[in-house]
Amino acid sequence: MDYLYDGSFDGLLTSIYYSYYEQKAQGIYPEASYQFNMFTPSTIIRSDPVLAARVYDAIDKKISVYSLMQIYYVYLSNNTAKENFILKYLQLGFQLGPKIDSVHSHPKVLPIRQTAKKVSFEAERFLGLLRFTDTGSYLYAVLEPDHNISVLLADHFADRLAGERFIIHDKKRNLAIICNQKEWYLSDFSGKAAIPDSETEQFYQELWAKYFTRISIENRKNKKLQSHFVPQRYRHNLVEFRKSELF
Amino acid sequence: MGTLEKLAVLADGAKYDVSCASSGVNKHNQGGIGNSKSFGICHTWSADGRCVSLLKILLTNYCIYNCNYCVNRNQNDIPRASFTPREVADLTIQFYRRNYIEGLFLSSGIEHSPNHTMERIYQVLDILRHEYHFYGYIHVKVIPGADTALVNKTGLLADRMSINIEQPTEQSLKLLAPQKTLPVLFAPMNQIHHQITQNASERKIFRHVQKFVPAGQSTQMIVGASKDSDLSIIKATETLYNRFQLKRVYYSAYVPVNEGPNLPALSTSPPLLREHRLYQADWLLRFYSFKADEIVNEQSPFLDTDLDPKISWALRNMQLFPLEINQASYEELLRIPGVGVNSAQRIIRQRRLGNICYDHLKKMGVVLKRAKYFITCQGCYYGGIPVESALVRQALAPVAKPVQLCLF
Ligand code: SF4
Repeated sequence: MDYLYDGSFDGLLTSIYYSYYEQKAQGIYPEASYQFNMFTPSTIIRSDPVLAARVYDAIDKKISVYSLMQIYYVYLSNNTAKENFILKYLQLGFQLGPKIDSVHSHPKVLPIRQTAKKVSFEAERFLGLLRFTDTGSYLYAVLEPDHNISVLLADHFADRLAGERFIIHDKKRNLAIICNQKEWYLSDFSGKAAIPDSETEQFYQELWAKYFTRISIENRKNKKLQSHFVPQRYRHNLVEFRKSELF
Repeated sequence: MGTLEKLAVLADGAKYDVSCASSGVNKHNQGGIGNSKSFGICHTWSADGRCVSLLKILLTNYCIYNCNYCVNRNQNDIPRASFTPREVADLTIQFYRRNYIEGLFLSSGIEHSPNHTMERIYQVLDILRHEYHFYGYIHVKVIPGADTALVNKTGLLADRMSINIEQPTEQSLKLLAPQKTLPVLFAPMNQIHHQITQNASERKIFRHVQKFVPAGQSTQMIVGASKDSDLSIIKATETLYNRFQLKRVYYSAYVPVNEGPNLPALSTSPPLLREHRLYQADWLLRFYSFKADEIVNEQSPFLDTDLDPKISWALRNMQLFPLEINQASYEELLRIPGVGVNSAQRIIRQRRLGNICYDHLKKMGVVLKRAKYFITCQGCYYGGIPVESALVRQALAPVAKPVQLCLF
């Protein structure tokens, strides 16, 4: 039996619950992108916060917080097999308990580790690569990450920019973190009305682009290395690459 | 001169300083703007592939000194500019809010006198910390020769301080920076070290005592401007770590900017590979508990450019190998080429659950390409050639092309 869920983390955990207490799931897929086939029957799971919380607590108590975190990261990834990685991992996790954290190379563990690592790597990268513009009344940033990482950025910027209002807009997924000075929430968001950058804003962008070009040392030029750290696909959202005379 | 031009001039003068890391402190925002992350965040990478995490600028590039290797030396005819303390503070805040940077790294030429310059550096910090309530990272250069009191009050506002010694020996300083001597450079280092220690013990008793330079101090040495060997550089590094408990020693491959009888020709390209090897050696000192004379010695005072220093050490000490992965101690594991801190820890953890077989090692992060000549796994040796220095060396050299390190 294939389980189809609504794409939310709660929905995924609810599916896991049913797979344990009702019928074993062969696979779990987001309903929106599921390819029906004639041989596997499927059922739609309605996300249930109470059941989800029970699975959540069970992972925390019987396996480990670390596993819980890893699963959440995998859930945020763009890997299409992620639900099944999680399903298989948890099957093993409920057998082994906390010991699962030490069997790094097990075929049910390794994909979780590798996928979670990609997600956390990208999130960490965007702690640096996110660029805000000052619209006058709030700070606004656009990103188009590979994985769904905006929630992983929120606490960091809420602390860092305490006292400011800001929006972190994932343009690819039409989502945004909206922070009103202290608290933040995640919301559907489909783009700001084009606010032209003010003169002050343009001034600081120019200063930054200028600084960026001047800081590099001619005799040490290494574009390949630069590309390795700042892949092309991120560059159009970065002031210094958009504006600097070098590009 | 407008801010744009000044920024161009003063960024130019600061770019050869390599200490770009903002790591070392975790600091929360306490009702102002900014925080610090101990893991260090890179915000972009410049065209030379170096990580940019801090706004790295000079307060001024006027200088009364004339250090041979420096673009800003007195006798050079270059555009000169100075920022006011407020300009630097404003730039920092505005760049920071836009998430361009992780903090400020403020260096300076010496305008008028050491005290005059140090006082202005203090003013930048005063505005940032007290007026803007900035909790982000600040690294400042200490001007050798400035008053102790001035250095102290600046240290209460900075996260990290550094005094660049630039040359590892008294002789090369005399040759290249005649106005500086090691004692003059060591004095403020010693003072800061002393203050950090004292501050730490005071804070144990009185929680409210302000932190003094919480991210510690660092320094930089220029590599290749003088004739000093890697032995002198690594020895000097070890001394600096032991004597002043420095957090980091940075190395900067000398980029020829000036002409002079004691300097390499302008056409010399910066010794990047040598710099890279020195960072690897430094890594061995800091994380793998190697001693300087295990890495280089009088017989071979330069690091091998073909092989990384850990492999070179292993090849000189073949009698210790091969080590059995299932039995070696943590310290021994760390000395195996291809085994890093992470993989050594994973090996120890997984060993408690059962024997490790060869296939597991790669998944644990062990670089078998290198490690296989130095280990046995459940009694089997997988290197395929005799465990003999010359043969293994041949199998391993030349290693991959040099990569430039990101400095954090
Ligand atoms: S004191 Fe510093 S800025 Fe002045 S010439 Fe020497 S190295 Fe350059």
